[in-house]
Amino acid sequence: MTTTTTAPPARRFRLSWSPRGGSDRLRADRRLGYLLVAPAVVSLLAVTGYPLLYNLWNSFHHENLTDAAQAHTFSGVSNYSKLFSSSDFVSSLTRTVGFMVVSVAFETVVAVGLALVLHKAFKGRGLVRAAVLIPWAVPTVVSALLWKTMFDPRNGFVDYLLGVFHLPGAHTTWLAGEWTSWAAILVADAWKNVPFMAIILLAGLQLIPDDVYEAARIDGASAWQSFRRITLPLLKPALVVALVFRALQAFLIFDVIFIMTGGGPGTTTETLSYFNYHAFLVDTDFGFGGAISISLVVLSLVIAGICTRALRPST
Amino acid sequence: MHGAQGPGYRARRWRLGGALAAMALVAAACGGGSTTSSSTPANANQTVVFASAGLGTEGQATQAAANDFQKLHPNIHIQLLALSSNSTQFLQQIQQRFIAGSSTPDVIESDVTYPATFAKAGWIAPLDKYGTDLSTFFPGQVKAGQYQGKTYAIPWFINPEGLFYRTDLVPTPPTSPSQLVQMAQAATQSNPSLKEGLAFPADKYEGAITAFMVFEGGFGGQLNPSNLNTPQNQQALQYEHDTIYSSHIAPQAVTGWQEGEVQQAFTSGQTPFAIDYPFVFGAAAKPGSAVPVSKIGFTSFPSSTGTQQAALGGEMLALNAKSSHQAAAWQFIQYLESPQVEQQRAIATGDPPAEPASYNQALFAQAPYFQQVETLAKVVVPRPVTPNYPQISTNLQTMISSTVSNLTSPNSALSTAAGQVKPLA
Repeated sequence: MTTTTTAPPARRFRLSWSPRGGSDRLRADRRLGYLLVAPAVVSLLAVTGYPLLYNLWNSFHHENLTDAAQAHTFSGVSNYSKLFSSSDFVSSLTRTVGFMVVSVAFETVVAVGLALVLHKAFKGRGLVRAAVLIPWAVPTVVSALLWKTMFDPRNGFVDYLLGVFHLPGAHTTWLAGEWTSWAAILVADAWKNVPFMAIILLAGLQLIPDDVYEAARIDGASAWQSFRRITLPLLKPALVVALVFRALQAFLIFDVIFIMTGGGPGTTTETLSYFNYHAFLVDTDFGFGGAISISLVVLSLVIAGICTRALRPST
Repeated sequence: MHGAQGPGYRARRWRLGGALAAMALVAAACGGGSTTSSSTPANANQTVVFASAGLGTEGQATQAAANDFQKLHPNIHIQLLALSSNSTQFLQQIQQRFIAGSSTPDVIESDVTYPATFAKAGWIAPLDKYGTDLSTFFPGQVKAGQYQGKTYAIPWFINPEGLFYRTDLVPTPPTSPSQLVQMAQAATQSNPSLKEGLAFPADKYEGAITAFMVFEGGFGGQLNPSNLNTPQNQQALQYEHDTIYSSHIAPQAVTGWQEGEVQQAFTSGQTPFAIDYPFVFGAAAKPGSAVPVSKIGFTSFPSSTGTQQAALGGEMLALNAKSSHQAAAWQFIQYLESPQVEQQRAIATGDPPAEPASYNQALFAQAPYFQQVETLAKVVVPRPVTPNYPQISTNLQTMISSTVSNLTSPNSALSTAAGQVKPLA
């Protein structure tokens, strides 16, 4: 999402060829440049631009598919006013933001720890690094189903493990309680996403030169001090990337919840994306669903902005 | 995201606009639907597309029926479109085709809860002009296919949901809801191999609603959206809650169970009572089942009012309103509905026939349990038949889920849901 710093193609062409290249040649080059990026631009527009505009249009119209009589009529901001006055929207927004904050904080802490471990030199490190990525490679639907089975009160692994070690929580019907359901969702989500964050952070760690640590050690810095004063500040760029990705993914969480709880028990795990799914695919109300989608886009941009601003490298 | 706004910016923006306009044109052309209103006569050469949930034995049975039909009508080719066997996914797949304005599939398998919604949207055609004799079907299922006085879908096979019991553990079925609790407790006390007294689907999904209707049958309750908060429904929801939290005949795990888990609990010999659909008989007939079919009884939920009631599940057949092969498609529907074809399907797949005439000695000789299924099919009650059912279902699922998870008291969950579904009635 960060701005690219490569020079515009035109200028580079001018530098590489004769300075008096003539405007015809320049124009031809430019045309070739556009032609070369066209497939990427067209496919991007097709899969993101067009749906976005289509949703925007829908959100100002009556587009309930089961109500053919009113189809395509302009409805002003009624879809938006319905949305912002809906208690379901407010409660799902609260839940979503709560989940995002807790899960991202939790996953960041675990991922930083994991990245630090993977950064250390030890025997079989390559194997471990590859193995760590496996959960991330598993499709979310599959991992959510696996975790649903793991949390099964009768045959689940979680119940068995807690029982073996005589820990509290054995014989809990995890997905029948509000907070136990959220705990289960958090674990399933973290299992899948921590490796992804850890690998990004590991790349960041590898960019920090060793001599900085050596200098700190000579100056008598403790391990904590060098982590706090060197590792964290220099890890910031990688951390921003990881945080923006994860915060947005957590904000738009759907599949884990759809599979594990179906938004239940009651409506206690219904998030914004679930609310949106419902408007589109259960109520087939594309106008209202469009309004939710556009609001989600705006909120996502706000979150991305907050993440990048809060962690902007101090200049 | 934003590049520098150099002199070429405006030109670029125009180009972008042009590209968008082109895309919109393409999209409009794709979405515009290519419907031909001209209808092809039944005797012309043509292809009829039939969308059904086509997996396993059900898919094979449908294919066999299609092959036989083609032998009788060589001019009509039946093309099967296999959609998901998960009803929610099936709905989404078929809706996508309707939304796109497609003239195919011509014939659609429809869950008993869809016809009113499809009919209001104008997606399926009224069938009254064909003059079907609706009295040949079970009356509860006929209602599910009607909308504003017209028939839009006719029954294909029926799945009445009721109470399964183990005849070796419970020789005579209970006669009242409270007696069921006593029998379940007595059975679990005397049989250490039993893990629970009653299993029923209470996951947050559509099946929790029909299971609740089975409980309602015990108290004379009705799932009427305009009058949901009745004393009978209160009793039924309280009873369902109490099986988990008061009498403890059901485990809290049922809050995550769908009909498949309930069937496993029952056919593995873990529970003497279960609320489920007739497919349990088919599962018990397979090798490896701990409970043989001969030890299974199937009845309506014991009622304190004496009236018998079962919850309607099952499939209907409907015609795409935009199909240009309606005449041939109707011939195919009639063929699928013929008692002989229905019987073949029942024996091959366990799908109970939708017509009482198919329940005869020829069927019972092959699978005697259909006698019990027939008894329940006669007393089925459909879920609310209204185009707003998807929204009503959402509210009812939340009501049941929050009750069985003990998050909300049954009475307050019921009154909340009653307020939500009343405007949708």
